[in-house]
Amino acid sequence: MKQYAYFPGCSLEKMGLSYHLSAMETTQRLGVELHELEDWNCCGATAYFHVNGDLALALNARNLAMAEKQNLDVVCPCSGCYKNMSSVRAELQADVHAAGRINSALEADNLHFTGKSAVRHLVEVLVQDVGLDEIKSRITHPLAGMKIAAYYGCQMVRPKKDSEDVEQPTFFEELMATTGADPIDFPLRLRCCGGSLIISSRQPALSLVHDLLQNAVDHGATVIATACPMCQINLECYQRQVNDVFGTKFSVPVLYFTQLMGLAMGVAPKRLGIGSEFVSPKPVLAFCDRPSAA
Amino acid sequence: MATKPVFSQEVSNLMSPTRGNPIRTCIQCGTCSGSCPVAPFMDHTPRRLIAMVNADLEDEVLASNTYWYCASCYQCTVRCPRGIDIAEVMYALDRYSLKKNRYKKGLVGPGFSETFVNIVHGTGRSYEPLLAPSYIFSYGPKGFFGEVQTAMGLMLKGRIPLLPSRVKRLQGFRQMFSRASSDGGAS
Amino acid sequence: MSERVGVYVCHCGSNIAGTVDVESVAKWAQEELGPRGVVVARDYKFMCSSLGQELIEKDIHELGLTRVVVAACSPHLHERTFRGACARAGLNPYLCELVSVREQDSWVHTDREAATLKAKAIISGGVERVTYHVPLEPLRVPIDPTTLVVGGGIAGIQAALELADSGTRVVLVEREPSIGGHMAQFDKTFPTLDCSACILTPKMMDVGLHPNITLLTWSEVEKVDGYVGNFTVTIRKKARYVNTASCTGCGICWEKCPKKVVDSVYEAGLGIRKSVYRPFAQAVPKYPVIDADSCTYFKTGKCKACQLFCPTEPNSIDFNQKDELVELKVGNILLATGFDLFDARRIPQYGYGRLPNVFTSLEFERLCNAAGPTEGKIVLRDRKTVPQSVAIVHCVGSRDENYNKYCSAICCMQSLKFAHIVQERTEAEVYNFYIDIRAAAKDYEEFYNRILEEGGHFIRGKVAEITDAARLPGEEGKLIVQVEDTLIGKQRRIPVDMVILSAGLEPRHDAKEVGKLFGISCSSNGWFTERHPKLDPVATMTEGIYIAGCAQGPKDIPATVVQGAAAAARIMGKIQQKEIALEPVRATIDEAHCSGCRICNNLCPFNAITFHEDRAVSEVNPALCQGCGTCVAACPAGAISGTGFSNEQILAQLEGLLFRNLDGRTKRVVEPVPA
Repeated sequence: MKQYAYFPGCSLEKMGLSYHLSAMETTQRLGVELHELEDWNCCGATAYFHVNGDLALALNARNLAMAEKQNLDVVCPCSGCYKNMSSVRAELQADVHAAGRINSALEADNLHFTGKSAVRHLVEVLVQDVGLDEIKSRITHPLAGMKIAAYYGCQMVRPKKDSEDVEQPTFFEELMATTGADPIDFPLRLRCCGGSLIISSRQPALSLVHDLLQNAVDHGATVIATACPMCQINLECYQRQVNDVFGTKFSVPVLYFTQLMGLAMGVAPKRLGIGSEFVSPKPVLAFCDRPSAA
Repeated sequence: MATKPVFSQEVSNLMSPTRGNPIRTCIQCGTCSGSCPVAPFMDHTPRRLIAMVNADLEDEVLASNTYWYCASCYQCTVRCPRGIDIAEVMYALDRYSLKKNRYKKGLVGPGFSETFVNIVHGTGRSYEPLLAPSYIFSYGPKGFFGEVQTAMGLMLKGRIPLLPSRVKRLQGFRQMFSRASSDGGAS
Repeated sequence: MSERVGVYVCHCGSNIAGTVDVESVAKWAQEELGPRGVVVARDYKFMCSSLGQELIEKDIHELGLTRVVVAACSPHLHERTFRGACARAGLNPYLCELVSVREQDSWVHTDREAATLKAKAIISGGVERVTYHVPLEPLRVPIDPTTLVVGGGIAGIQAALELADSGTRVVLVEREPSIGGHMAQFDKTFPTLDCSACILTPKMMDVGLHPNITLLTWSEVEKVDGYVGNFTVTIRKKARYVNTASCTGCGICWEKCPKKVVDSVYEAGLGIRKSVYRPFAQAVPKYPVIDADSCTYFKTGKCKACQLFCPTEPNSIDFNQKDELVELKVGNILLATGFDLFDARRIPQYGYGRLPNVFTSLEFERLCNAAGPTEGKIVLRDRKTVPQSVAIVHCVGSRDENYNKYCSAICCMQSLKFAHIVQERTEAEVYNFYIDIRAAAKDYEEFYNRILEEGGHFIRGKVAEITDAARLPGEEGKLIVQVEDTLIGKQRRIPVDMVILSAGLEPRHDAKEVGKLFGISCSSNGWFTERHPKLDPVATMTEGIYIAGCAQGPKDIPATVVQGAAAAARIMGKIQQKEIALEPVRATIDEAHCSGCRICNNLCPFNAITFHEDRAVSEVNPALCQGCGTCVAACPAGAISGTGFSNEQILAQLEGLLFRNLDGRTKRVVEPVPA
């Protein structure tokens, strides 16, 4: 069993609860043990970095230091948390002065950061540590014929951490393919959904969401698979607003990739949090011949 | 002789030197602006904003909506041929803007970000219901009702937390924070 | 008998004098080092000037100096100057020692007091050392008048012709079946818009016919031994499977050959050749080669159509031919191996390799070429559709930290040329996407102006991405170039039919290995390293090995021709002198003390040490030895000493540096140590 410190992040508590539920269901079946990081705090989203650099560093350093105490790497299901924690870790490892300042602040909570704990995205852990073959072997109810638009979003892939391919990655499609579905060609798969701009700069964000939905529909997607609660909320909960502003008639299901994997593993939709969507997941469930949860 | 740092230097001071090459190495090629998904909505493209920063045009830069419109998607950063972390530059400008309390009127970002930080300061976790007032009134009447509708929908689906959650070791958490913010440095 | 030492401390304007108190240093040397042999110590503004040198010469004559120490700049610059002054005054030049109080003192310190003390120490060391110098004579080795030119592109061709015309023999080795290089692939050349083949082929013809040039194509250098003036090179003449004695180049063999292969070299992947082929019509030599990797006969034992139809008597196809190893003696070697094109697939967001109508510059050259795969018609990958809009993208893989930091020098002009050709042959709208327009040579700016006058859009912005994902009206079915038009300050999406990527130039993929073979190094960007970037661009740090053309760095055809000619002139000069004087600073092994342990053999970076099995001792070849001192330091028996850096000299210099020569003052009388 592979063990990790699990960092759900604020969004997975309620807004993205179905991500949390489906992540638990799938990881349990794949030999991945997720121990929720005790007393974790918010990663700061983008807001903290807008306000104060050192506070943002401290916020994330606290989580990393706590994971170090447990001697575990951190797994983030949310791309935003993943990006914050991994870039803070990198910055503190490279910038001695910043590390000094932050560690003296962490002392107040009896913590110390060295960077020992790596930061992983949930998708990365499944693809690299579990492996596509192992995952395929657990699929009992293949979603044959379902067309999935595997939406990477931005912060799962960028900024660059190593020498990985940030322009033409294929790992997310390959992961989705294990479910038996067809990942479609989705040219805008790496383009931002707007993230928190949906609140702070609504017009531009709705335009970005519109482009993504249109692109997915143009390429025949049954469902858009996401790996980030921000992306899921923007693409799903604001479809109505997009339709209002652009005169479109989008009704595209947007589910977490773990929900799709769970369905392919035979897990009941309710256990995967299916039922709390704005856009009916009926088109997706039609591929599972399971009673609709909506 | 101590002199007041110029605007471009102050902005650089708000970024870690480990994050990319200095802004003054920009050759104004425009790759960042060409890649930016939000650029068409910005009053100055990211490239032009960097030129303005390098020219120390503090007033014009702060009055722009560019850096508050940045989605932090990092497409600019990964493509910049000079290795400048443009997304970080935008973050530095946000921080400078809030430090001086100078930004374009009508922008939602500044107020929203500060509210977010205050909430997390208090409990260690974010809490959507408290965030709403910081933005919900800036969308005009139609937008307001649309947002209310969305919020109610989310609540009905059980996706909005009713009670805020908090970090258990709140004392230590708050102490850590006051040390971090008083320590100066690149804040 | 003690030596009579003259010490000269240079001000070098304020370079040295600005930090070191040169007057007091000279005075100190006169007084304190007097008992150590210093007869006179002077300071002067610019020792390297004629007057400065004359100071030394005068003192040698009038004061009977037997040793000279000059405290000035680095020996790299003026060692030769002061040795020359001594020689003119009748003193053996190797009895002169140049110590650096600039690069090693005044330029690296700011504390005046400390720097002055250090200068004294440095001079003290030089004075102690120089008394152990012995007169040396440069090694003279004969120069074989034959020159090896590696690479048959325009650089190699130019150099070969100039050398051959001067009356000396040249061996020109080229790894492709024909000479011509990249220039043979181009359609037109900027800024004159000359047809590339038309200006190149006459030179190719000359090479092929020149009595002084031995042309070895389809050949590669395999081994290089020896040293300047006396290289022994082993060349592998790859089997052509064609008997060149009887072959007339008629072409029936490749006409009849049934096996088609994508020509990824000459046609840049756009055209087809056969297994037996001649790269292009004007190939020199005219003889084809059989590509054994694709040939049906070599793979299955069947076919032999070429042999069947060959009309010559005897038959010119010989499947039994083997590679031939040829050993040659040459005096000088010129590497003119050219460049490779940047692989545009490394920039996925530009779509090369994925989107059919994105072309590289070389592919487009072949499209334009009248003898090319489309007979000069500018059409899309379907070979039919004429584009109505063409985007030309500058700086692909150049000026970019993510790929190559340097500018590839020719792409701007090449892009302008492409713009002209497209507009000349089609009605298409042309868009140039650039960051800067680099048009710095003769007639280049005027060419740029001409292209501006001819119409066409110039958008200043580095292209962010090229995609076929249509989002806006008018984009369906097109390639969309997304870019910021920086002069307007707006992001734009420009739909076009065809994109040409002006890809950068890179060193040959095997440049490092080739460099190693010849004993020269490559820079951090991979280009061959010249002796001095400003003043000696065609020589290398290895005597007898020269470089020219794009192998040294990206450049246009005029600059390439100039370098080829420059290298030829340099080599001709050496040949004319019939012998070359090598620095006598060399290591020698005292046979009596050599235990035959051979530790030194593999340490030598110049492969200058050989082991004599019969006597069980090692020997240093003085012509190959560059005097680096590695073996001297490594020998556990201390059996190796270096003329010019003997143990006595080094130890004495250390004593002087530490001022230990000042205890006792009076110099011990010593006999000069035998070399």
